[in-house]
Amino acid sequence: MATHVPTANGTAMTGATALVKSLEAAGVEVMFGLPGGAILPAYDPIYDSTIRHILVRHEQGAGHAATGYAQVSGRAGVCIATSGPGATNLVTPLMDASMDSVPLVAITGQVPSAAIGTDAFQEADIRGITMPFTKHNYLVTDPAEIAGAIAEAFHIATTGRPGPVLVDIAKDALQKMTTFNWPTSINLAGYKPKTTPNAQAITDAAVLIAQSSKPVFYVGGGVIKANAAAELRALVELLGAPVVTTLMARGAFPDSHPLHMGMPGMHGTVAAVTALQKADLLITLGARFDDRVTGKLSTFAPNAKILHADIDPAEIGKNRHADVAVVGDIRETMAALAPALKAALAKNKPDLTAWLKQMNSLKSTYPLGFDIPEDGSLSPQLVIQRLGQISGTDTIFTAGVGQHQMWASQFISYEHPRTWLNSGGAGTMGYGVPAAMGAKVAAPDSTVWAIDGDGCFQMTNQELVTCALNNIPIKVAIINNESLGMVRQWQTLFYDSRYSNTSLDSKRVPNFPMLAESMGCVGLACDRPEDLDKTIEKAMSINDQPVVVDFRVHRDAMVWPMVAAGTSNDEILIARATAPDWDSQEL
Amino acid sequence: MTTASRRQHTLEVLVENSPGVLARVAGLFSRRAFNIDSLNVGPTQDPTISKMVIVVGVEGHSLEQVIAQLDKLISVISIKEVLIGSKPEVISTQPDYQN
Repeated sequence: MATHVPTANGTAMTGATALVKSLEAAGVEVMFGLPGGAILPAYDPIYDSTIRHILVRHEQGAGHAATGYAQVSGRAGVCIATSGPGATNLVTPLMDASMDSVPLVAITGQVPSAAIGTDAFQEADIRGITMPFTKHNYLVTDPAEIAGAIAEAFHIATTGRPGPVLVDIAKDALQKMTTFNWPTSINLAGYKPKTTPNAQAITDAAVLIAQSSKPVFYVGGGVIKANAAAELRALVELLGAPVVTTLMARGAFPDSHPLHMGMPGMHGTVAAVTALQKADLLITLGARFDDRVTGKLSTFAPNAKILHADIDPAEIGKNRHADVAVVGDIRETMAALAPALKAALAKNKPDLTAWLKQMNSLKSTYPLGFDIPEDGSLSPQLVIQRLGQISGTDTIFTAGVGQHQMWASQFISYEHPRTWLNSGGAGTMGYGVPAAMGAKVAAPDSTVWAIDGDGCFQMTNQELVTCALNNIPIKVAIINNESLGMVRQWQTLFYDSRYSNTSLDSKRVPNFPMLAESMGCVGLACDRPEDLDKTIEKAMSINDQPVVVDFRVHRDAMVWPMVAAGTSNDEILIARATAPDWDSQEL
Repeated sequence: MTTASRRQHTLEVLVENSPGVLARVAGLFSRRAFNIDSLNVGPTQDPTISKMVIVVGVEGHSLEQVIAQLDKLISVISIKEVLIGSKPEVISTQPDYQN
């Protein structure tokens, strides 16, 4: 970052050219955007740039595509839009990226500086609007400050706890002349993220682990952000304790590993949820005690001491007191913890045999499962399971939000980091298709499947046009239960099956395969179990065009297990009104 | 909450003297439901840096959490707690999460 001096340094140019030269100097290879009046000066030098600009059909698509690109590549995703509604259409992706700690740089045009504050045409205070969910943001009105702001934006977005940064640039700053001056180093008085963990904290952590008898690794998305899967596996195998991976951490640890108990939380496995509840120590790595994981916080992991390792000091003690806190890069932390733990275990190695036996008993007694509909219709869980099995573990999956997202987190086996992309914190319906577009741009040789709901798909499917025209052949599986399925499930369980406004009639309108064909994609449909595999294989065989498959599935399938919102994890149900048989378990 | 469980702390916060900084700080307190009892902003000898004196009413959150969230703002350079009463001088209480 900002290490080499671009050849253009010291040259006179417009602010717009300085912006594009800055993006090039920051190493940007691709950006997603849509022009308009205020940003128009920047689009002239973009026309000549080596940066690939992908013209989206809606700015929200640009934002989620940049997120998908970032989640797969590990680099900052870039999106660009004009002022006013162009900028506000980026609000949802910025909030989404903030919740899931995604490095994103958003560039927006602003009305000319003299017009700011006059309610000018297409004026919106996007800096003010995005303050709550950007890591930082800028309003630039002086062309001489463009290069510095862009350099800082990439530095802030990609270091420490990653996050989105917005740079709003007034139109006249883009038009005026300046001397390009890309900074060779960045020094922000108020931003010095601490990456190297404190040695004493590492020692304390190792001692705490060695003293535990029921430890669990509680692994969050930070492990993937820090590219620390190898360090995690080494640490886990050193101790031999069970592991749970949160929704944001699926793929951080192989699902096939015998120590993996699955995903914790509202729709987690019985083994993973119970491991946290019965543990005497949570080894918390890059996770944040989100309410969807903890359930009712006061009853979460009641007997556990907390070791909390995270890059963000503000996560320590936010929701749950930490007995030992380690602030730093999680990869550095685990690399330092491994030898310290080895030394501590040499003095005192806890016997985890009984604990592991209990957990493995739960894992084998309560595996994830689903019922095949008796009427011969297609099971949504089976569709998703077969998609995973047929396309293989190198495939990248994205999801929208709802039942299909939970099933995709449950019934696909994730073996590698950065193969599962979803909107975890924000729960953004419509994330799936544009995120898949960004993922495919970052990894053009990988198969990318968006697993989407019929509700989600109708929010952002316009980006399939972008995919078709830009040679981005993603695959989309619409899990079409003609409903807002997760909301409908809650209505079934908590609102006496009164289905207020959750029926979408998506098996009548729209005709998804025809819609797909009209957007330059191949449209397929499947509604019989006997056609399932050959339909997936047909979709897998098409690699020169986007493919959309309308899987017309049983409407009443529900996501289980479930910890109802606001209740304790101890009240996990494996089916409607069915708790695990705790009496038969030795816990 | 009784008044006994509500504690006031005075924070001296150095921030960048740039547009929008007051909104960043005020917005943070508002969206995280931290209480501001009073807030003053003034210049320092360095024209690029302003000083805020914020009296925080802590209930339901720890002071450490307020300080940690405040410290996450890029525009915030340093935070000190001013102890009023027996000790008149400023004492740094930057949270030390490293035990």
